[in-house]
Amino acid sequence: MDPILLARIQFGANISFHILFPTITIALGWVLLFFKLRFNATGNEAWMNAYRFWVKVFALSFALGVVSGITMSFQFGTNWPGFMERVGNIAGPLLAYEVLTAFFLEATFLGIMLFGFRRVPGWAHTLATFLVAFGTTMSAFWILVLNSWMHTPAGFEMREGVAHATDWMAIIFNPSMPYRLGHMLLASGLTCAFLIAGLSAWRWLRQDRGEDVRLALRAGVFLAAALIPVQILVGDLHGLNTLEHQPAKVAAMEGNWETRGNVPLVLFAIPNERERRNDYAIEVPNGASLILKHKADGVVPGLNDHIGKHPPVAPVFYAFRIMVGMGMAMLALSWLGAFLLWRKGEIPKLIAWGFVAMTFSGWVATLAGWYVTEIGRQPWLVTGVLTTAQAASAVPAGMIGTTLALYLAIYALLMAAYISVLFHLARKASGAGSSPPQAYAPRLQPAE
Amino acid sequence: MDLISNNLPIVFAGLMAISILAYVILDGYDLGIGLLMARGDRSERDRMIATIGPFWDANETWLVLGIGLLLVAFPAAHGMILTELYLPVALMLLGLTLRGVAFEFRVKAQVRFQNAWDRAFIGGSLLAALTQGYMLGRYIMGFQNGLWQEAFALAAGFGLAAAYTFVGSTWLIAKTEGELQARAVGWARASLLLTLIGMIAVSLATPLVSPRIFDRWFSFPNIIGLASIPLMTGALFLSLWIFLRRMPRADHSLDLVPFLGAMALFTLGFLGLAYSFYPYIVPEKLTIRAAASATESLWIILLGAVFVLPFIAGYTAFSYYVFRGKARELRYD
Repeated sequence: MDPILLARIQFGANISFHILFPTITIALGWVLLFFKLRFNATGNEAWMNAYRFWVKVFALSFALGVVSGITMSFQFGTNWPGFMERVGNIAGPLLAYEVLTAFFLEATFLGIMLFGFRRVPGWAHTLATFLVAFGTTMSAFWILVLNSWMHTPAGFEMREGVAHATDWMAIIFNPSMPYRLGHMLLASGLTCAFLIAGLSAWRWLRQDRGEDVRLALRAGVFLAAALIPVQILVGDLHGLNTLEHQPAKVAAMEGNWETRGNVPLVLFAIPNERERRNDYAIEVPNGASLILKHKADGVVPGLNDHIGKHPPVAPVFYAFRIMVGMGMAMLALSWLGAFLLWRKGEIPKLIAWGFVAMTFSGWVATLAGWYVTEIGRQPWLVTGVLTTAQAASAVPAGMIGTTLALYLAIYALLMAAYISVLFHLARKASGAGSSPPQAYAPRLQPAE
Repeated sequence: MDLISNNLPIVFAGLMAISILAYVILDGYDLGIGLLMARGDRSERDRMIATIGPFWDANETWLVLGIGLLLVAFPAAHGMILTELYLPVALMLLGLTLRGVAFEFRVKAQVRFQNAWDRAFIGGSLLAALTQGYMLGRYIMGFQNGLWQEAFALAAGFGLAAAYTFVGSTWLIAKTEGELQARAVGWARASLLLTLIGMIAVSLATPLVSPRIFDRWFSFPNIIGLASIPLMTGALFLSLWIFLRRMPRADHSLDLVPFLGAMALFTLGFLGLAYSFYPYIVPEKLTIRAAASATESLWIILLGAVFVLPFIAGYTAFSYYVFRGKARELRYD
């Protein structure tokens, strides 16, 4: 098999596995801070019980993020040596700042956040929780700066085939960075909101209806309902930004072959790259023109302007539809759930099961979104500067294949363990601090 | 400023050396405890984990910093070294992954799986320690292929595992009491001897592999000043041995001494290796200066590092202060 393809699959598998966990922890850190602050303000022990349950989920997710992140820090070099050779002067400082300003901060204060509750004053524990949340967000900031720069590079010049920084502000605030960062942070918020709502709904359905479960359920549902419209808006803005800087990616997302006006919105189709047309298309007339140009006859760029230089159409096209479809499902369910919680104070069983079914919907949407943007950048690794093929290493295919099989096996095992342990923790918690204590207090007094 | 500018690669080699030394000592003690867990029962294992629970994550971050500095400051060396070590690196990552997640899973998973996660923790720690030592051995051998070189690298794997076990035992002496501490003293003595053998083997092999290194150590007058490194190391071994024979003590005020001794031992060994290989970053193939990347980017990183590293040192010290003394049971509440 082609070693470049294997290296891509290996890196793609690792980075896909990795991103699942930061996507949870970035937002969960802030939710934990919210629980802690509510406890500080109200003195209600239920907030602290919610904190104690979700901090376990945080610790577990954080550990998975750390170990897969360490693997990634090595794979940058082993899989893509050309990347650092060509753009290391820009990527290097950004990665170094991530380690210096984020990794140590979160890793160190995590210890105090997890195990320091009885060892430090209350305010110091709250501060540690804040610093962990801040650290994870800083980490997201630096890595998204670098990723955005790879999509829309700015602030550099090429000298003897090597990129040299000329303007760090332009590098950091490159054209797509604010949109991508906003889109990803919101994705993290939604992933976390649906995880909390889903797992809490499951506990609620199992008659585990302590106040902490209700509080967490409300927090998850309302957070999801509040974030999803913002995400749809930011996603739209991000799309318009991509249209400006990476038209071929948008053309693949829309499945539009010819540059022209009155382009329909393709709801579903099978893109046929050989014949350069869509088969079995279901379309809304003028839809794409309206969305991208806000005019029925707006001219939308097509793939045929970029023959040989555009990304593979089908994966980008399908992944985009999975992401948008998931977003619509999130909108419908979270608004319905929020409305019922607001008006009736409870959600019916069917809706609760809906939230259980959507527990990991954020993962699906986030991964699909990353596939859209990353496959959509191909054949480039850094747009206009470096192709993926140029950056690949000379490690033989057999070696990559062997380690790939090893990684895949371990990721499958860890994924199964992670999900089963989440539900195990939820099951176990139903006996602990959540239900009224007298219900299960052991009878210790001997008969007199 | 010019002085720093002209010597930026050396400054970065120094920063990288500090990160790697910090990693080897800090993650060394928690990897070592991972190996020692094979000797404990379930409740002892819980106590052993409790001594490293709040620290292991930050300890491992030094590896990311070290490899990150190699990647950003010396991309050419990074490429050569990681291509040579592709397979052991992958196995090390597998080991670090298993033990990193086992930390969480061993207490959070269903009871029937908890022992399996303990085994994953022990196995992962062993795999990481062995592969790191193996890579050190390959590095010392200048990545030459051959039966003897491979055998030496394998032996170095066991040597580093012994050294990690030693620093792990001394950490346990500092953080535990009672029967577990007494057992840790025994483990420390045994692993100290193995570490001694490992360090002697590396010290003998390094100058024999390369005439250049031989000359650096044994030419006159260098040898007079340099003799202090092996002499101090020898004295340290002896004092640690004598001190450990008088442990455990009823009075706990000196429980940290063996760990401090282990830190000194690691530092001396590291200095010896650094002296042998300087100015090369890939032995006999690539020097620090030749491997360095563009200076303007290194400046940006240095500025950040100079500003941020004191904070990192400060809050790391704070964390060790918060969890000072004998380890208590790990509790979330």
